[in-house]
Amino acid sequence: MNDSTVSGDSSSGNQTAPPKSTAKKKRNLPGMPDPDAEVIALSPKTLLATNRFVCEICKKGFQRDQNLQLHRRGHNLPWKLRQRSSKDVKKRVYVCPEPSCVHHDPSRALGDLTGIKKHFCRKHGEKKWKCDKCSKKYAVQSDCKAHSKICGTREYKCDCGTLFSRRDSFITHRAFCDALAEESAKAQTAVAPPSPDEDKNGEAVATASSPPAAAATPPPPLAPPSTAVVSSVLPVQNPELPESPNPNPTTKQNLSDIPSVTNLTASCSSSCSSSSKGSSSSNVFASLFASSTSSGSFHSPTTTGFADLFRAISRPDCTPDVLPSSSSEPVSLCLATNQGSSIFGTAGQERRQYAPAPQPALSATALLQKAAQMGSAASNASLLRGLGIVSTSSAPNGPSGQQLETDGVSLAAGLGLGLACDGGSGLKELMLGTPSLFGPKHTTLDLLGLGMAASGGSTGVGLSALMTSVNGGIDVAPPFGGGEYGSKDMGRDS
Amino acid sequence: MFPTMSLSPGLMSPYPWLKDLKPEERGLYLIHLLVTCANHVASGSLENANIALDQMSHLASPDGDTMQRIASYFSEALADRILRTWPGVYKAFRSTRISVVSEETLVRKMFFEFLPFMKVAFIISNQAIIEAMEGEKMVHVIDLNASEPAQWCALIRDLSARPEGPPYLRITGVHQQKEVLEKMAQILTQEAEKLDLPFQFNPVVSKLENLDIEKLRVKTGEALAVSSIMQLHTLLAPNNDFSKRSPFAPPMKSIGVNLQRIAQMNQNTLGELFEKDIVNGYSPSNDSTSSMPSPSIDSFLSALWGLSPKVMVVTEQDSDHNGKNLMERLSEALYFYAALFDCLESALPRGSLERLKMEKMMLGEEIKNIIACEGVERKERHEKLEKWSQRFELAGFGNVPLSYYAMLQAKRLLQSFNCDGYRIKEENGCVVICWQDRPLFSVSAWRYRR
Repeated sequence: MNDSTVSGDSSSGNQTAPPKSTAKKKRNLPGMPDPDAEVIALSPKTLLATNRFVCEICKKGFQRDQNLQLHRRGHNLPWKLRQRSSKDVKKRVYVCPEPSCVHHDPSRALGDLTGIKKHFCRKHGEKKWKCDKCSKKYAVQSDCKAHSKICGTREYKCDCGTLFSRRDSFITHRAFCDALAEESAKAQTAVAPPSPDEDKNGEAVATASSPPAAAATPPPPLAPPSTAVVSSVLPVQNPELPESPNPNPTTKQNLSDIPSVTNLTASCSSSCSSSSKGSSSSNVFASLFASSTSSGSFHSPTTTGFADLFRAISRPDCTPDVLPSSSSEPVSLCLATNQGSSIFGTAGQERRQYAPAPQPALSATALLQKAAQMGSAASNASLLRGLGIVSTSSAPNGPSGQQLETDGVSLAAGLGLGLACDGGSGLKELMLGTPSLFGPKHTTLDLLGLGMAASGGSTGVGLSALMTSVNGGIDVAPPFGGGEYGSKDMGRDS
Repeated sequence: MFPTMSLSPGLMSPYPWLKDLKPEERGLYLIHLLVTCANHVASGSLENANIALDQMSHLASPDGDTMQRIASYFSEALADRILRTWPGVYKAFRSTRISVVSEETLVRKMFFEFLPFMKVAFIISNQAIIEAMEGEKMVHVIDLNASEPAQWCALIRDLSARPEGPPYLRITGVHQQKEVLEKMAQILTQEAEKLDLPFQFNPVVSKLENLDIEKLRVKTGEALAVSSIMQLHTLLAPNNDFSKRSPFAPPMKSIGVNLQRIAQMNQNTLGELFEKDIVNGYSPSNDSTSSMPSPSIDSFLSALWGLSPKVMVVTEQDSDHNGKNLMERLSEALYFYAALFDCLESALPRGSLERLKMEKMMLGEEIKNIIACEGVERKERHEKLEKWSQRFELAGFGNVPLSYYAMLQAKRLLQSFNCDGYRIKEENGCVVICWQDRPLFSVSAWRYRR
């Protein structure tokens, strides 16, 4: 990319202020040029010119004579590097040639050549550089570049419509916001009647507290009635908040704060347009932090990735007092940073323009990987059982297992996939059809990791643990390939 | 207690418990069913395949979650494959199908807008071209599938801002549809005029496999750049018609055609033969999985090499969907398209019509082609970058490592998509765009080498 040379007008000239500057280099205070400095007034042409030094052979342009000289060596041309005369180091300041400009006056001269160049372009030049994402135009290329970096980065957008320029705050909000959406489907219970005071407090409670690393930072420069952030690991920072004035990072304190916070946020939200969200927040917090407010399974009409994650990892029929550690990250992130009071006010939109940092468990990619893991060393019946499709009449532990069991037998038969309850035909055969068909090929098995079937036993415990956590209430057949894992003993043969 | 989920119609299904599956379990079960079904299709147990498909119909849905969507397109593909065993039925079924060109163009545009892959490919390709053309006064660019003007608009802009001044630029666009080329010519000429860049657009209306190299009108001494975005893999299909003299003049290799083993048929016969034995004829080939010599691609590359291009930039899907084996292809395709569907899930809401169209008209069609078609019809023969590299090198091309600056620009673009699922990595001088860890598209640059 290159700047093209723009021809300017008017004369060029150097004016030298009479007094010589001192030899020692010192920086002046901004806005106050060195009175002893040499004042240079360059012409617009000079200021706008880039690559003024041009090689006569190949016409390549350079910003500095030094670079040109070095380049000339490549052409075997005579070159000369002028040494910087260290004798008289004149401090130079530059004035803007534009008469109407405030920097035209020597007393307001700028001390930096690059600075005056940029200034001239910015204020008196034409905007030749355009951001390719939005339509903003700039006169200085570096400005444009700097903008490009952040352009669009402002556009993390949550379902609820709030915009973020920072990814971390977006993620934090997103988790929270989704949780709100989840809870909105539930009946609005345990919501204190809103009052203007509480409302205000609730809003005030909603202070942004960025991720742990930045725990000490003040609320981000977003609108004051902004964020509702509660974290098990983050201190609640809001001087206005009566309940917890000191940012004590102990969980306990936060926990004790939470209920009131939740109530406030709950009430606040219920007072806002999207009242449904409010109750959800209370329930989210409740379930997250085992507070006294009612809790229950996450329930959401809009099946969002995070919602599914919660569902997948939490037990559906009990209070998720403590989420599995694996999800503590997202939980702590489940505290939203929101720009405006819109956190409760905006209706949840279907639009999803995010990608939460942890890939939700229900992404297709994740599912495939999970299937691959499950498939390795899985026997046919176990897999089906693991999926809640029980082919035997054994009694499962979870309630949902029972439900699925009823039709299990008939289902298996109905499948007609040779998945009869005998359990004799392993998944392997199932996947293969008949072994003979595919000969020694193992590549086809790799989809489900069956190629590793031989070593399936090694992944036993972890696998069943995974299955357990994944399937929640649904009973998972622990023994893949025959009782190797047994971490969850169902007391029956696979 | 179980959250209600939107399931596809099937309220009176014989499997009521299916409704109670959680999304994750449903997804896993869908995968299980897909693999099972494909297995049955491959082994000819159509009855079992039918049952599996029936089961899937209660779970899969084109407007559900990602896994449901994927499953619906894959099951459609499998059904398509099964149906082809009855050619008469199949043809009758499809006889009234209309393909609307404008819709296809629109979907391509959406793909360009909502997903970053095309833009990244453009950025990197253009950068490679610009670097290769440094100092050149006459530049000729050949676009093997000239459908998106944005790439060349950007090139025109960049070239006109060169420090050494703009070159004289010729762009030759190849495409099947005249209208697309006309539109392109108009847009590009306008752009060039705006920027005072001497420019000429030459349309070549042709299918890639029938392309007459002469029509490209490459002049001696001009600096040639070739850009191919997701085109070359179509040339891996066996050549359609040997009676007609192929423009690439392929040598006819007869590889012992065995009508029972359609999968390895490289020489073609009439189309029906391919459709006939689809299910019954599949035994996995005993041949190695490396591709057999394919007349089209080799002679095409040869012909390109004969033009001594300064740079040839190739973008391809980076996944092996060209296995002889249905199960292989299914497995690879599942991973690949799962990632793409995840991309779309992160880019557009579930109710988005654009997303639906992209999934159905673009991805769904690719999936169908990979799974259901064989022989000449199977055009979506994606292969891994490594294989392409070998091919290019065999054909006389040398790799031109992509510059750091190109990578940087690409990274910036990905960042602007506000989705940290996209990743970009360098591999032997080539760039691979990934979703999470899954490589999706590769971009590489090559030059004529003696």
